[in-house]
Amino acid sequence: MTRLRSSGGLLFFVILAALPSFNLAHWVLNMLIFTLMFAVMASAWNLVGGLAGYPSLGHAAFFGVGAYAEALWFGHHSVTSGWEPFLMLPAIGVLAALIGWPIGAVAMRTRTDVFAIVTITLLFVAQGFAFNLHSITGGAQGLAVPPGPWSAATYDRPFYYVLVALLGLAVGITAATLRSKIGLSLAAVRGDEDKARGIGVRTTGVKLLAFCVSVGLTAMVGGVWAYYEGFIYPQFAIDPLITIAIVLMTFLGGRATLWGPVLGAFILESAQQLLAYQLGGSQVYLIAYALVFLLIMLLLPRGILPTAQERLRHRRRRLDAAPGPAGTGSGGSAGGTSRSGSTNGVVASATGGAQA
Amino acid sequence: MSPLLEVTELTKTFGGVHAVDGCSLAVEAGTVTALIGPNGSGKTTLFNLITGYLRSDSGRVRFNGRDVTGLDAGALYRHGLSRTFQQARVFPQLSVAENMVVAGGYGWRQLLGSRRVSRSDRARADELLEEFRLSHVADLLAAELSYGQRKLLEFAAVLMSEPTLVLLDEPTAGVNPVMIETMERHIRARHAAGITFLVVEHDMTFVMRLCDPVIVLDQGRTIASGTPAQVQSDALVLDAYLGS
Repeated sequence: MTRLRSSGGLLFFVILAALPSFNLAHWVLNMLIFTLMFAVMASAWNLVGGLAGYPSLGHAAFFGVGAYAEALWFGHHSVTSGWEPFLMLPAIGVLAALIGWPIGAVAMRTRTDVFAIVTITLLFVAQGFAFNLHSITGGAQGLAVPPGPWSAATYDRPFYYVLVALLGLAVGITAATLRSKIGLSLAAVRGDEDKARGIGVRTTGVKLLAFCVSVGLTAMVGGVWAYYEGFIYPQFAIDPLITIAIVLMTFLGGRATLWGPVLGAFILESAQQLLAYQLGGSQVYLIAYALVFLLIMLLLPRGILPTAQERLRHRRRRLDAAPGPAGTGSGGSAGGTSRSGSTNGVVASATGGAQA
Repeated sequence: MSPLLEVTELTKTFGGVHAVDGCSLAVEAGTVTALIGPNGSGKTTLFNLITGYLRSDSGRVRFNGRDVTGLDAGALYRHGLSRTFQQARVFPQLSVAENMVVAGGYGWRQLLGSRRVSRSDRARADELLEEFRLSHVADLLAAELSYGQRKLLEFAAVLMSEPTLVLLDEPTAGVNPVMIETMERHIRARHAAGITFLVVEHDMTFVMRLCDPVIVLDQGRTIASGTPAQVQSDALVLDAYLGS
């Protein structure tokens, strides 16, 4: 089953990598680039918001850190081959993770809703800096990043491929985390952090690690974005809407699952582009966006993948229970009825699926 | 030989309330020591202080020959001091086996280097689950267990780290009589295997059957300790329970 899943994942990335060869229209590739950006960021957010259960609303600040780091560096250095700004990305990721460490160490002393408020404050503080540190950020006038030396017809492709690679990195990190004891520790933190602390789980360490990796990946996307746009302004580089979008995508697809955030990003980003296209340049599409959020909360509070997995599990259980009462075991003690071996297997794979 | 756990003049106040007020007690290695007292006498607060969940205002705690005052709960756990909670705290969204494995007290090398549930983890967990007769539910989510089974699971899980001292906070509260017997059997078995217990419990027949010595707490301090028979005839204890 895991092999089936990982080969499915591989197929997804092969298709993604092959897409530009089909000479897609410019607007399609452009839309895919934004979808990929959000897919990476939603995946990254899921590490801390999903796996650790710390709903950060400040991730856009680190997106901005990445964007400004890229813009500042290439404001003073020239771009010749066009690939240098991408080669900077790992350094940007490490930089953001290092900035995130003390911030996370303080912010993660709070939990749930208080943590959300503390981190959204961070976002506005960062935006305040971007607007007001004129000598560094250029204030409201923004900063320019020199464009890459590619022809207009294929200009988007390098960005696209880099983002596919980043998505591979984010999904790979998530998969590795889920399979390791870090993932198990994070699940304990999410479930009952105080209890986890008392049974020797390194709660502070694992949640901080998740936070730093998460904001590092987010900053790398910010770097790609700044290079792609060519010009950055504070209100777009550090935008609360980015935070809201990635949280929404993760919730829609399914928190703490491997593919949920990616699925959410592909659904919502294409929906948003379509809505923005249909409803014009006004902000009306934001209302539609809010509507989507309400519908998710009403109909799928746990997200698409967990709900689907639950349904599948129940169906399999029913199917298993159908062919006669053979092997009902000796009847459990109070409450937990003992199950036949085959059902146990299904439950095991279903719980495994919850991590997928 | 010095006692396994030694609490000296421990104090904790919440606002103006002296929850634990200069409490001293000792738990000898190899005993099943009971900690009893009327409601509000500070038993749970004392547990939280000893296990590092709360920080004391003053006083010392020594465990296994070293001063552990102010040490973090996780560090104490890894040093062999485990506890369970009154309300049976398990992780409902994890499987029963995972609930066992997560309590292994791992260092960073294992966290980063070994699988979520490695073969040796699973073998170790299965061994304990077998002992606690939870093997048939090993792959269910902990959320699907009955309350009594959760209590057993929580107890079994803290044994994953091979503790020397286990603090049980009301192990029989809210479970049926059969489960109380089961719990008692497991405590006895583990005691025979060399683990020392400190048990907070309200069920007096359970305490008198299982524990020796018994320490009595009232208004945040120790008022008596001794064998069950001594404590039962102590005037101060009768006073505390029945009022004068």
